[in-house]
Amino acid sequence: GRLRWEHWLRPGVWDQPEQHSKIPYFNLVKHLTSACPNVYSISRFHHTTPDSKTRSGEKYTDPFKLGWRDLKGLYEDIRKELLISTSELKEMSEYYFDGKGKAFRPIIVALMARACNIHHNNSRHVQASQRAIALIAEMIHTASLVHDDVIDDASSRRGKHTVNKIWGEKKAVLAGDLILSAASIALARIGNTTVISILTQVIEDLVRGEFLQLGSKENENERFAHYLEKTFKKTASLIANSCKAVSVLGCPDPVVHEIAYQYGKNIGIAFQLIDDVLDFTSCSDQMGKPTSADLKLGLATGPVLFACQQFPEMNAMIMRRFSLPGDVDRARQYVLQSDGVQQTTYLAQQYCHEAVREISKLRPSPERDALIQLSEIVLTRDK
Amino acid sequence: MNLRQLLVRLPHYLGASGSPRRLWWSPSFDTIFSVGSWRGQSSRSPAHWNQVVSEAEKIVGYPTSFMSLRCLLSDELSNIAMQVRKLVGTQHPLLTTARGLVHDSQNSLQLRGLVVLLISKAAGPSSGNASCQNYDMVSGIYSCQRSLAEITELIHTALLVHRGIVNLNELQSSDGPLKDMQFGNKIAILSGDFLLANACNGLALLQNTKVVELLASALMDLVQGVYRENSTSAKINSDLQPFTKEKTSDSMTFNLNSAPVVLHQEFLGRDLWIKQIREAQEKGRLDYGKLRERIKAGKGVTSAIDLCRYHGNKALEALESFPPSEARSALENIVFAVTRFS
Repeated sequence: GRLRWEHWLRPGVWDQPEQHSKIPYFNLVKHLTSACPNVYSISRFHHTTPDSKTRSGEKYTDPFKLGWRDLKGLYEDIRKELLISTSELKEMSEYYFDGKGKAFRPIIVALMARACNIHHNNSRHVQASQRAIALIAEMIHTASLVHDDVIDDASSRRGKHTVNKIWGEKKAVLAGDLILSAASIALARIGNTTVISILTQVIEDLVRGEFLQLGSKENENERFAHYLEKTFKKTASLIANSCKAVSVLGCPDPVVHEIAYQYGKNIGIAFQLIDDVLDFTSCSDQMGKPTSADLKLGLATGPVLFACQQFPEMNAMIMRRFSLPGDVDRARQYVLQSDGVQQTTYLAQQYCHEAVREISKLRPSPERDALIQLSEIVLTRDK
Repeated sequence: MNLRQLLVRLPHYLGASGSPRRLWWSPSFDTIFSVGSWRGQSSRSPAHWNQVVSEAEKIVGYPTSFMSLRCLLSDELSNIAMQVRKLVGTQHPLLTTARGLVHDSQNSLQLRGLVVLLISKAAGPSSGNASCQNYDMVSGIYSCQRSLAEITELIHTALLVHRGIVNLNELQSSDGPLKDMQFGNKIAILSGDFLLANACNGLALLQNTKVVELLASALMDLVQGVYRENSTSAKINSDLQPFTKEKTSDSMTFNLNSAPVVLHQEFLGRDLWIKQIREAQEKGRLDYGKLRERIKAGKGVTSAIDLCRYHGNKALEALESFPPSEARSALENIVFAVTRFS
């Protein structure tokens, strides 16, 4: 049983799509989780931890605070990249760079940069090019959000109205293109062709991820593989490749590049899985966007796919993408009655453990430990 | 499926039938400004233009239409073709864009790639250290330059597709069901994004950060251009929405944002222009033929021609820095063809 799980966490497994359909997922998870009934209860510990010693023996603080040390002025700097003459277009493009986002991706990038630099030669210096990756990652992410919101006809994000609702769909799409082009200019100015290749891969993955979301699979096992692939492309690829990019800039060792990539990929997948769980378990105030959003978009995420194992009557709803009246509520009920949430959370845990396993290979440092702590935060966050 | 088969099938997929519709900015010359008072065999007639372009294509070694559609050969994109097919019968602009891309090939819509190739050839082989030396050269053009031409087309097509998004809150019942427009928007965004992603990948493969920076800046400028164009036309256009359906060629519609019209308006002043528009309206419909006559009687057309020639001369001046060659002559011919109005 254990071996099969590891198959999914091995690097390069994404390149073998034909393997996907051969693994009977749900049987696996059932087997493992029935063997370990206590894994469902994950201790909640709060975001602000008291200072304590880590494996590296140094005191550490909140990983967000630690990461922010290198990111002061992040949003101002992003806005400087958006050199736009028309004031309305500028306003639209700057709309989400207001300092109110979580800046999760830039923080991971900043911490990874330091962790790699220290691992390589004990350098406590973050290069300007590495910091630029943090900006670029956030810009690419935001550009894709702007387009996604038009595609999904979303009304709110981060507690405010979406760009498409305020300015209309035409302008919103252009704003997304603008942010993307600004990110590309910044990327080019770093002057490193390897880094350009790494991050342009993300742009392609983001689009392919959206296409995956448009399509659907009939077969249950294919569905789960499809879901994980979409999760990688839409969420984890950006984090994995940004981590890899900063490691390339900081250190010549390809082993380190792979570690950075694997950390990013695993934590990215875990992050999305928990996001999908929160869509069922949290209420709309906390999230800044309405919940059951995924069901309303016709998307069958982790909790739904697991729940379907227990309630096969969900299959029909999944195939018609919850389009009939009452489908969304019924599906939600099924999920909450099933162990779909727990199973998805357990899966997220596995990915987090893998991320930690990878990053632990780096030399100890406060930043490395912060990255470890981040994985715990990913699992226990409530928004 | 090879490119030829795809192209033969695409119009059918897109439900095309009858005469092709032309996009306003394409160099198709039976627009209002090339008929009427201009005498003789117009050198902007399709026959001449095609001749100029096909000679240019021989110089660069292959036909350059459909450059941006070559990425359609991927499996991924057969998905897009199928999705676009669902739009047949709806009124979403993406369908028009897609048809235009295929149908207007005879007018060599995709000029930009051709121009890039000609410039590459006119510039000649690199001396010294340029990174191009690692690339093959065919017909005097490096493969990296060909790649760049393709990328240019990709970016241009991507923006063209993105321009076809509709604002959902401005829809009227004549536009058809909301969900068709929503679906069309979805596909338009994704297709455009896919083309941009392909462009980015192509740029990354060139392994030249300066080139990436240049093209990314070009994209940024293009986006701002599209935005401004949408904005200025928004006011007048929104009043005229009910009138901007396609008419017969006698009273063919024209873009109120085109240079002659904009310049005409500048000479007249806004109030007089609005008056002219109102006078050209009959029973709530805009008589384009009437409006056209008013514009031709003013100074807008001649100043647009002057502007065009000014830019043409600038282009010719720039070409002088290349050594004389077939490619340079072909570029000059293109400039002449585009700037002659009689």
